[in-house]
This record gives sequence, C-alpha cells and structure tokens, in this order.
Amino acid sequence: MAKYYGVAVEDIFNTMEERFRREGAKGVDALFGYNISGEGGGKWQVTVKDENLRVEKTEGTLEGCSVMLNADAETFVGVTIGKIDAGEAFSSGKISVDGDIGLLTNVLPKIFTKFTPPAKDVIPKDIIDSMEDRFRADKAEGVDMTIGYDLTGENGGKWSAKIKDQTCKIEEGLVPDCTVTLQMDAKIFVGLNLGLIDGTAAFTSGKVKIEGDMGAAATSAALFEKFQVAGAEEAEELISLKCVPSIDERFATGPVMARWFEGLKEKKFYATKCPKCGRTQIPPREICANCRVRCTEFVELGPKATVTYIDTVYYASPDPLTGSIRETPYAGVYVMLDGATEEENFVHELKKEEFDRIKPGMRVRPVWAEKRTGGFRDLLYFEIDD
Amino acid sequence: MAIHRENIKDCFVQEGKMALPNQYFAGRVGSRFIIALRDKKKILGVKCDKCNKVFVPPREYCERCMSRLDENWVELSNEGVITNYTVVHYNDKHLPRKAPYILALIKLDGADTPFPHIVEDLDPGKVTIGMKVKAVFAKETTNTIMDLDHFEPV
Repeated sequence: MAKYYGVAVEDIFNTMEERFRREGAKGVDALFGYNISGEGGGKWQVTVKDENLRVEKTEGTLEGCSVMLNADAETFVGVTIGKIDAGEAFSSGKISVDGDIGLLTNVLPKIFTKFTPPAKDVIPKDIIDSMEDRFRADKAEGVDMTIGYDLTGENGGKWSAKIKDQTCKIEEGLVPDCTVTLQMDAKIFVGLNLGLIDGTAAFTSGKVKIEGDMGAAATSAALFEKFQVAGAEEAEELISLKCVPSIDERFATGPVMARWFEGLKEKKFYATKCPKCGRTQIPPREICANCRVRCTEFVELGPKATVTYIDTVYYASPDPLTGSIRETPYAGVYVMLDGATEEENFVHELKKEEFDRIKPGMRVRPVWAEKRTGGFRDLLYFEIDD
Repeated sequence: MAIHRENIKDCFVQEGKMALPNQYFAGRVGSRFIIALRDKKKILGVKCDKCNKVFVPPREYCERCMSRLDENWVELSNEGVITNYTVVHYNDKHLPRKAPYILALIKLDGADTPFPHIVEDLDPGKVTIGMKVKAVFAKETTNTIMDLDHFEPV
C-alpha cells in the first residue's frame, strides 16, 4: 500500500468511523465524494445523514455528490495531516472541488476530529542504528570507553558502542572488554530514549542493571544527541527542574514534651493524667482539652499495647526527613498502651514484615533503637507480641 | 513530677532537617528564554506592539493591555545600564554568591523593563546608577537563569 508521510489514503477513510462526531453532524445531510488519483488512491463516498455516517469505497462513478474533491494521493494525505497547506494546494490546482465547497471547509471539520497519523513503534534497533549519527564528537574529547547494551525481551538484542578518538562505532553483540554494560528490558530502553522513563528512577528501582564503571554510564548520556522518532515533529524543549532543598529545623520541646522524649530514652512511655477526668494523654500535653485544666501528673503507660486500628499505606509519599520516596506498602498502627484511658490511641509504625499479619486486637510490643538520643526515632516500631 | 512554669531544666531543642522534593516548570515562554541563554548566548524578550514595550524576562501576556506576546520575540543587546542596585552583605546557603556582592537592576539596550542580575568584577563601593554593563554567559550550563552567569562593567 502506497504511503505518503507514513500514511496511506485508506488510513484516513478507515478511521472516519472513530473520528465521527455525532453532535457535529446535527442537521447535516450531505454526500461527500472523493476522487483520489495516483498510487494508493481510489474513489470514496461518505454519506452523512440523520447524524449517521456511511463510508464506502466505490469502483463506479461518483454521482449525486453534494461536493466532490479531486486530488492526487500525496496531496490528499499531505493536506489531511497538515503537511501541505490546503489553500496553496487549491490555488495551484492540485486540489479541485466540484459542488458546495463550504461543506468541505466549514462543515467537515465539525463532523470529524482531526486525523492523526498512528505513532510508529520504536524498537531498540532504531535507536542503536542512529547512535553513530547522534554521536557528538565535540563532547567526546579524551573519552575511551565501550558501552555494552544487553537488551532482553521482545525486539531485544546485544550491541556494543565503541567510543574512542572522538568517534563512535556500533557493533553487534557484546564485546568482551566493555567499560560498562547496561542490562534492561528492550521496552525500558526505548522508554528511556524517548524520555518517557526517568533514568534515575529506572536504575534505583532495579529495572536497569549497570555492570562495570558507573561513572562511564553517567557520562555516556552527554555524548549523544537526543533520539528523535523519524518523521515526528521535533518536540519543543521545555525546561523543568527538580531539586530537593533541605531546610534546617529546630523544635523546642518545652517541659512537657521534654519529659516524653526523656522517657523514650529510658524505653518508657510517659503520659499526662488529667486531675479532673483522669484521662491519660499521650504524647503528654500541658492541658486537658476536655476539662481545660492543667495536667501536672505524669503516669507511665505500656510498654505493651493492643492494636485498635491499622492503616496500610500504598501511596509512595516522600519521607520529609530525606526527600526520598518511601518504600510501600507499610502500615501505621493505632494502639492502646496498657494503662491508657479509653480512646487515647497512640500511633506509630508497625514492623514492615508483619503488616499483612496484623489484626485489630492483637498484642504488640515496642522495639527500641539501640542508641537512643531522646528523639522520636528512639522508638523504631511496634512488633507482634507472640 | 509537678510541672511549674519555671521548671524548664528538662527542656531541650531537637535539631532536624526537612527535605522538600520540588519541581519547577519554566513554562513554554520561560523555557525558550533559558534555552536561548544556554545555546545561543542571547537574551530574548517579548514585545507588545500595542503598548510599544519590550519585556524581559519574557512573559506570555502584556501587563498593560493583556495582549498575547509569546509569538512576538525580540532579541536584546547583551549590554545595558544599571538603573538601581543593592549590595548583599550576608551569607546564606541559598544565595548565589559570597557576600558582599552586587545585585543590580539592568535595563538592557532595547528593553523597557529592568532585569535583575549579579554584577561582578566591580568593587561594591564603586557601583553607580547609569553604569554600562555587559552580560557574561556561563561556561557550564544548568538550564537555569544562571546560564547568564553575571554582568560586568563594559
């Protein structure tokens, strides 16, 4: 099938059904005729009536059309996908129209959504084959390395890129003395080169395995121009910057929270007890918010506790202390420390390995850090007490 | 274990750090501006034909008449005049230079709005309004406004 700009004339007609907009066809009663000459051309009749569409290829003559368009196949495709200016094609006579031209210029765009050529699937070989052309000799001064690509899965393969004396040569197969070898699934390789997958993320998540000189792998990216899909319009470069600012924080405990932190250091949970209602507050607070009286008495709770509620977290939020994304899933547990008054839950993390075993009502015990400094990390997590 | 307001002997301070993962998108107009600094060593502005004003850094809309400006790019001179300045006298890790350094508003030739940047190779005590300066571009680019590294006296 003859293709122009990667598109066959038939593609345009075959997609009309899915591009048809019923609401745009309201009140339209028209028969469009297309007489496309040249290779891949033919005659088509498109009927739009009562908000319905019928597309037919015909061998006979196009008769009774409200409007008929005559063009050669290349011009027709070019105009449809926007590669050729319709006005110019018309005035130069490459397109001619018989009948009501308004139907084509005003009505047609309302009836159909724009035709977009299907994206060609990029395979690793396309990317590898273009590497020599994309090589930036000016950036490779003094660079002497061989990068091995070991791509698994569909369309995978093994290649080596030898970079020396400001030239790049691609060889099939992995040469034995690669400076660095990158191993990944072919799909991941394509995604990385198209900019659909973040390189750092792919590496840290283990999707890309790097053997050999890591530094070489990092510098190699700068040696090549970005891969562009053939025929695709050059994407507009947009700048987006990522950074993780680190903000120094100071938290003054005050006398009440200080007691709590001192307690953690001694592997103890201290709560304040309300002199009026008797409820225990943990972590301790200066005032009982229910009775609005000052709490002056501290009591020790726990250390063992009963689980009341479990939160399993699947959302990978960043850890505010490091900026790195937390590993999921993990579970937060709400526990009633022994001796706590009703509803005075305490929330902390559960041991990672136990999150699928935990049930409300289970007994748990705290696990403490070896070296305790009087901070909230002194308590590592709770684990099932069995 | 009674608490008294005066009982502060147990109080202490917890030191910590908070990391804030951040992403800044320069936008279409901002990207084109920075790419021109980075690749062509040129300062681009946008012009409002209606108000006859040239804005730098470029923006999408005219602040006076709200016309769209992002198709009307103009290339500006790499030289300009200091219209105002301040000398930064304190050090902080987020600041781009060691104190003292000059932060000036520079009206580039061809622009109607002043453009803030660092002025180097000049004693902070000697900076004056009306002084002519020229742009010095960064050797190592970072995809930021710092691809225009600083200005220096002509």
